Amino acid sequence: MQQREEKQLEASVESLISRVAHVKNALHSFIYKLENEYERLTWPSVLDNFALLSGQLNTINKLLRNEKTPSFRNQVIIPLVLSPDRDEDLAVSTTADNTFPLLKKEVVSLSCLFTCSQKLTEQRVPVFSHEIVPDYLRTKPDPEVEEQEKTLSTEAARIGPDVAQKQIQALNKICTTLLEKLSNPREDRDAESAAMRQSKPSFNPADTNALVSAVAFGKGLSKCRPPGPVAPGHQGQGSMMSGGPTLQQVTIGGGSGQQAGMGGPVAQQQQGQTGKMPSSIKTNIKSASGSMHPYNR
Amino acid sequence: MEAPPVTVMPVTGGTINMMEYLLQGSVLDQALESLLHRLRGLCDNMEPETFTDHELVYLLKGQQGNPFILRARRSLSHPTAPWHLRYLGQSEVGDKSRHALVRNCVDVAATHSLPEFLNEMGFRMDHEFVSNGHIFRKGAMKIVVSKLSRILVPGNTENTEHLSLSYLVELSVLAPAGQDTVSEDMRSFAEQLKPLVHLEKIDPSKQRH
Repeated sequence: MQQREEKQLEASVESLISRVAHVKNALHSFIYKLENEYERLTWPSVLDNFALLSGQLNTINKLLRNEKTPSFRNQVIIPLVLSPDRDEDLAVSTTADNTFPLLKKEVVSLSCLFTCSQKLTEQRVPVFSHEIVPDYLRTKPDPEVEEQEKTLSTEAARIGPDVAQKQIQALNKICTTLLEKLSNPREDRDAESAAMRQSKPSFNPADTNALVSAVAFGKGLSKCRPPGPVAPGHQGQGSMMSGGPTLQQVTIGGGSGQQAGMGGPVAQQQQGQTGKMPSSIKTNIKSASGSMHPYNR
Repeated sequence: MEAPPVTVMPVTGGTINMMEYLLQGSVLDQALESLLHRLRGLCDNMEPETFTDHELVYLLKGQQGNPFILRARRSLSHPTAPWHLRYLGQSEVGDKSRHALVRNCVDVAATHSLPEFLNEMGFRMDHEFVSNGHIFRKGAMKIVVSKLSRILVPGNTENTEHLSLSYLVELSVLAPAGQDTVSEDMRSFAEQLKPLVHLEKIDPSKQRH
């Protein structure tokens, strides 16, 4: 009977070790990928890695819940030898089959000979000393976590079973409505969100037209040509230009004010103004075709 | 029946006749961030590029009706870069089923003496503006989100004032003449930007008055 239990224990520990080794390898390759290939990494492949880890954790859970697995809670690990020296030697065996002193029926202490801790753990645990024992052989959660768990369980006991039931039902209901909303066809969602979005339009068609006209033929941009009878349409735009009035005054005011109206970095030519002002400045440089006048007369 | 291949047409110059396919829309200032996020996701992965350009539009008036328009553009953020001169023809009308505005387009680079040269040639500057914003690219498509500013004192690009509270969004493709699949691709891309911004074919001649 004891031997059967022993054998079960052994077998389950073996399979657990192999599963954990799988998880370790998966984590190792994932971390390597994250550190070295992060530029080429895509979100779907990251998700794949996470899915793999989650699947492996699931199998470990199933294994632990298996009926054939004896309860590990009844086992105790006691370190036999603790030494502050570095430990490199290979142990006789990695399994604990030859270290089963049978003291009681329920409590079987696994004494592990950690003389090969360095090789076994791939240089991660160089010293098996009293510093690492609390971390690696820990079975209870941290004191803070324990405190929190205690408060949570007292809280749960305090509110009473029917209140608890009501809360459970409410949570379930919220979860199901959320799931429904998420799995519903897209049109339903679009109808709701379209109604929401109508209150906040993100573009103004009038602005679109104004901008397109500005780019296409300069509507709304101050013209460099002085306004005159030849350009009646532009006068109407004077109200739109804030800097316009000053510009118009400058150009109407004086013939030499033409400089301001030319724009551009250099104005070599002096041209007479159209409209009301007689041209006082003669041109020296003619344009390429003699019959072409820059301004309509 | 598609347009004859380019090699069959008489080659008069050294360039292929390029057409610009254009879709335009606008987006309000408060919706700019969400539009930029969406574009960053939809478009090719590159560092977000901002630009500040000063565009001058030159007109050459002939005896007959339509003046000849040339657009000179220089970068205010890269002052030593060459100027860019562009000619845009009349938009091709007639094919209502075509989803984008199509017009002939000729682009050349020019030196910094371009404004004087154009003045000597007889062009007169009609208007100028400053445009700054972001540029994105998806394959052959270019998406420009820009804020237009009016120049208050001619020649002074520091003293500017925003033209409106919106950003202009333009989707354009430069392609040789005759490729109509381009406008289909543009339309499907424009669909993805709805309802944030409606990119559509806006005929500027209809806007005139």
